[in-house]
Amino acid sequence: MNALTDQSRAVLARGVRLRADPLSGEPLLLFPEGILPLDATTHDILLRCTGDLTLAGLLLALSEEYEVEPDELRTDVVQCLTHLRQEMLVVW
Amino acid sequence: MKYRPYLLLAELTYRCPLHCPYCSNPARYPDGRELTTAEWQRVFREAAALGVLHAGLSGGEPLQRADLPELVGAAREAGLYTNLITSAAGLNEARLGQLKAAGLDNIQISFQSDQESPANRIAGAAMHRVKLAAARMAHAAGFPLTVNVVLHRDNIDRLEEIIALAEELEAERLELANVQFYGWAFRNRAGLLPTRGQIAAAVPVAARAKQRLLGRMRILFVTPDYYSDRPKPCMDGWGRRFLTVNPVGEVLPCPTAKEIKELRFDNVRDHALDWIWHESAAFRRFRGTEWMPLPCRECEFREVDFGGCRCQAALLAGDAGVTDPACALSPHRERLTEFVQAAQSLEAPDFAYRQNP
Repeated sequence: MNALTDQSRAVLARGVRLRADPLSGEPLLLFPEGILPLDATTHDILLRCTGDLTLAGLLLALSEEYEVEPDELRTDVVQCLTHLRQEMLVVW
Repeated sequence: MKYRPYLLLAELTYRCPLHCPYCSNPARYPDGRELTTAEWQRVFREAAALGVLHAGLSGGEPLQRADLPELVGAAREAGLYTNLITSAAGLNEARLGQLKAAGLDNIQISFQSDQESPANRIAGAAMHRVKLAAARMAHAAGFPLTVNVVLHRDNIDRLEEIIALAEELEAERLELANVQFYGWAFRNRAGLLPTRGQIAAAVPVAARAKQRLLGRMRILFVTPDYYSDRPKPCMDGWGRRFLTVNPVGEVLPCPTAKEIKELRFDNVRDHALDWIWHESAAFRRFRGTEWMPLPCRECEFREVDFGGCRCQAALLAGDAGVTDPACALSPHRERLTEFVQAAQSLEAPDFAYRQNP
């Protein structure tokens, strides 16, 4: 697994779909034989995993939304993406 | 409690050019015509309205349906995640292109072994090379790939090599599915059940590979229930998360539920899927915990394993309404133990190969 750096661009892995649950409206990840309900933060991160943003850009975008410094978010975002990468739901 | 299905297994046809002796299709096929394109389109819409998120397109061999791309398109239009569960027979570049255009999300290809000759013998058809070529084509066409291998006495000793094959094919996911004894597999179970020694050797091989391939390939391996003290939480509970529509339109709580002769399964040609899911007698029969006999009724695991598998209770104990004999607490456990004991030293009989309807 290549390291996650400020220049990494995380995207959903192929075969993974982000959508709202048609009954509850809650955000979900769908992948072969799997359904992962998302908390609000993970959803906010994944919405920006389109390949347009580097990790640095993603932290900046989230920091503006949450009105905090990018570095305050770094640990949580890196942890979240690393976990999703191990589960093969995102790649970079 | 309001129950909601999440996964629909759409068995599009019983036709298949392979003859695997462990096929979970019923050994006696039900009468009736295959559902039409329009009927399946309605099933997908009704399933999505009920809350279904995933459609597994299976069979038989789903590629035997000329309208497969249309069916994939209809499932996608309904918002469903689509997974093609195939032997790869009939998967060529033209069809891959049509399936891609229709929005297919994932392709799952079955392999019988890592080596050509035993693989072809198990499939009862010369398919191994076709499968290898198809898996590479699917990968090149941009599909994520799941490799599924049913493990049994004749191939489980090749587990290392089977995992290596899946790696070579760059599969995202590998299902190492220990054979389950229903349908044709139940008929052939004396020749299919691995020995205790084979299972003991396989468990650490799978565990090491899982660790080594973390983040590169998801590996699914579950110890078979014939060698466990606890039953499997079959389908996560009867009529709780899954439904199957078979080729002739009958709606089943699990793909092998036709093993339960006392149940009559309603058909999408006669009723709305919503009614069948919520109201039909077959779906209500073993839903929840009300139906449970002892020891399940007072068991602390009753909402963990749901009494195990109803089909297995029917096949081994002759009564779908008792505790799964795979549970150490089952009063019928002895029948399973005796069979497993006898199978340890058994000379494996010839397979009864799956026939087409």
